Amino acid sequence: MGQDFNTEGMLDIFLFESGQLIEKLDELVIEKKDAEAFDSDDINEIFRVMHTIKGSSGIMMFENITKVSHKLEDIFYYIRESQPDNIPHKELVGYVLDVSGFIAGELDKIRDGEEPDGDQSEIMKNLERFLKEIKNEIEKDDKKELPPENVYVAPTQFYIPPVSTENSHFYKIHMTYRPDTMMSNVRAYAATYALKEVAEDLLFTPEDILTNEESADVILKEGFKMLLQAQCSKDEILGMIDSSEVEKIDIFECTAKEYQLGFDSSSDENNMIIDLTSSVDEIEKKAEQEKKEPKPGDYVIKSKEVGKAKKLAKNENKQPKQAFISINVEKMDQLLDLIGEIVIAEAVVSQNPDLKVPGLELSNFNKATAQLMKITSDLQEVIMSMRMMPLNGTFQKMNRIVFDSARKLDKDIELVISGENTEVDKNIIENISDPLMHIIRNSVDHGIETKEDRIAAGKDPKGVIKLTAKNEGGKVLIVVEDDGQGLNKDKILAKARKNGLISKDIEYSDKEIFQFITLPGFSTKEKVTELSGRGVGMDVVVKNLGNIGGTLEIDSVQGKGSTMTLKIPLTLAIITGIVLKIGSSTFVVETNAVKEFVRVSEGTIIDNPTGDTAVRIRDEILPLVNLGEKYKIEGYEMDPERDIMAVLEHEGKKVCVFISSLIGEQEIVVKPIPDYFKKVQGISGCTQLGDGSVALILDVGGLI
Amino acid sequence: MSDIIEDMLEEDTQKGMYMTFRSGKECFGIAIKYVNEIIGIQNITAIPEAEEYIKGLINLRGKIIPVIDIRLRFKQEPLQYNDRTCIIVIDVQSTVIGLIVEKIEEVVTIQDEDIDPPPKLVHGNAMNKYVWGLGKVGEAVKLLIDPDRLIKDEDLEFMEEAAEEAQAEEDAES
Repeated sequence: MGQDFNTEGMLDIFLFESGQLIEKLDELVIEKKDAEAFDSDDINEIFRVMHTIKGSSGIMMFENITKVSHKLEDIFYYIRESQPDNIPHKELVGYVLDVSGFIAGELDKIRDGEEPDGDQSEIMKNLERFLKEIKNEIEKDDKKELPPENVYVAPTQFYIPPVSTENSHFYKIHMTYRPDTMMSNVRAYAATYALKEVAEDLLFTPEDILTNEESADVILKEGFKMLLQAQCSKDEILGMIDSSEVEKIDIFECTAKEYQLGFDSSSDENNMIIDLTSSVDEIEKKAEQEKKEPKPGDYVIKSKEVGKAKKLAKNENKQPKQAFISINVEKMDQLLDLIGEIVIAEAVVSQNPDLKVPGLELSNFNKATAQLMKITSDLQEVIMSMRMMPLNGTFQKMNRIVFDSARKLDKDIELVISGENTEVDKNIIENISDPLMHIIRNSVDHGIETKEDRIAAGKDPKGVIKLTAKNEGGKVLIVVEDDGQGLNKDKILAKARKNGLISKDIEYSDKEIFQFITLPGFSTKEKVTELSGRGVGMDVVVKNLGNIGGTLEIDSVQGKGSTMTLKIPLTLAIITGIVLKIGSSTFVVETNAVKEFVRVSEGTIIDNPTGDTAVRIRDEILPLVNLGEKYKIEGYEMDPERDIMAVLEHEGKKVCVFISSLIGEQEIVVKPIPDYFKKVQGISGCTQLGDGSVALILDVGGLI
Repeated sequence: MSDIIEDMLEEDTQKGMYMTFRSGKECFGIAIKYVNEIIGIQNITAIPEAEEYIKGLINLRGKIIPVIDIRLRFKQEPLQYNDRTCIIVIDVQSTVIGLIVEKIEEVVTIQDEDIDPPPKLVHGNAMNKYVWGLGKVGEAVKLLIDPDRLIKDEDLEFMEEAAEEAQAEEDAES
């Protein structure tokens, strides 16, 4: 659909904006899910969101999104106008979430380059029924609260400009398109869209230009008419309207009084013509309208009884524009790379061997380099902070998931969020959402018991899941804690045994037992539910986390609940590493992976008959990897008396290596090894050092 | 528009031009369009477990690129690097790679008609694999190499071909 129209550049913007709107909507609805009803601000907000999505999806010609959002807009329009006070709130929340879920799903499809082909008919049916229901309720219960009648019959009665200042001018605009213009309705909408920027009030006819394709013919025949109230001049208006395919634009300035009279009498006749020429649907719609159904119009504000709360959608545009721009991530990455280069180049200059001439007077040079160093480190900080985003968006999504799944499972669960302002790298945000979702779903489905079980166990029938984020030593910890039934150790052990994962003789610590649930195909839940229990969850979680250098720790007390801790590095591109030498080769190890450096004597090294070597450090026997031999480093022989032993740790497993000397700790920019090389086990990348030479980054996980 | 003309001109001026370098007794040529730049020998960081001819990584103004030793690639005797040793940085289908050569000679122009296909020589001469033509410059002959084949690891291909040929010979005998 989208290809019919030149929408390439707009598509990104459409996806971005709609995505944000939907997120905002979710946030709002979830926040109010336990309230008695939406207040008028919320209703206006939801109406506005749906209205915007309807409009932009209409331009992009994603029909199903347009239809669904239109229907929901109708409902909220009705609620806004008639303010019924007996709407089943829970049901309404459910419908709004259904719609936002549907739209989010379609947006995802579009993002992946697929056709948004989701079937909206069921949602439409539900919404339709709901709308009827609330209307009937009203009519039954409270005749007085009926929406004002004759909404569309006498335009002179209700076109009241929302804001009128002395500087405002009133215009009547009549646009005539060339007879062969394609999709003149979309063009007309584009014109109204362009004018929205300046418009204090804007009306147009035909009104249903986006939802009714017939309107294109009407526009061609009758022209497109707009009533505009704005503070700009005629020429400015002309400049704003895209005049391609337009035969003629007439702009007449008029008085406020004339303006309030709406379109002239001939346009009323035109409206009649619309009816005669339009489809059966259109006539039916008209007929429905006559049955006193209000219909949302673009920026059409009805006159209302005094004191009735109203908020104009238009007001939103008056707020100061947000000082944000969106930047292509690629450019950001490039900038990050370049700043990495600067940091290194600076070290190359300030530590240049040419400066090491004895007796050289360098005080000015040192001052200059100190200044440079400060600027570069500031630069680095800024770029890093630019890439940092707070977790609250991701956390809000979880709110929605808990609500949805709890609703399906008929459990009462509260999600308590804290530390959502913790910031992490953008890459990480993107990769964290899925694993977190799985864990939360698991907690809802497996962790928290049913209401009856909870009461039987003497717990509050309302389950609590705590979602917490905090910074800790260069890592972000995201903790999901539930007060459910906890993990059943015996069950896990039995299952592991059945799957042949363990031998009977070995004693496992609790943590090790819990780690079993992260193995592929491992689910102790006998019954597979819609939400989880297929055993594909936890291993995927751990794998996805691994991709961003994160780990998962599981802790649980049976009957009390479980705690899942996701440990994620703050950023991926720059790490602090310890630079060390083995023979003449330089390597870098991530600082966090280094447990300690020790001196050992020859006697503590144990050669296994199998060919493995181990070393005894205090009470531990740890495997020893001879990197000199493994990587065939020239001119290096392992010598326990001379060398330093580094104890490295990865995911709780330790390994020892001998190194010749330590150079120091520094921030390094991780670069991939060119594809030209085969993957070398134990080496994850390379980096440039201060002297311009290249060092390899040791991947401790790969050594184990 | 002017860009296109410039590109065409550049293409034209580069046509038939070869950068020649010496490796052992032979003189080799590589089409100049592949050559990015020539730099002096640098500190090379060895990569474990790589082929012998792949010497490792160098830092080319912040870009980390692999370098290979042409002598080792052609299965010639390795030579100690000295001041004259150069690295020719070439760009083959977006792979940037450095070639360590013992001595750069010159840039020569060889017309297409002066290029003969390589004669089918006896097996075992590794450099044959990478030579696509013999360029005659006066009395001298330059071996023109195909950088694409040069940087690809076709030891496997070699073996496959050898096996195929052996098979073919056997078939012929029987």
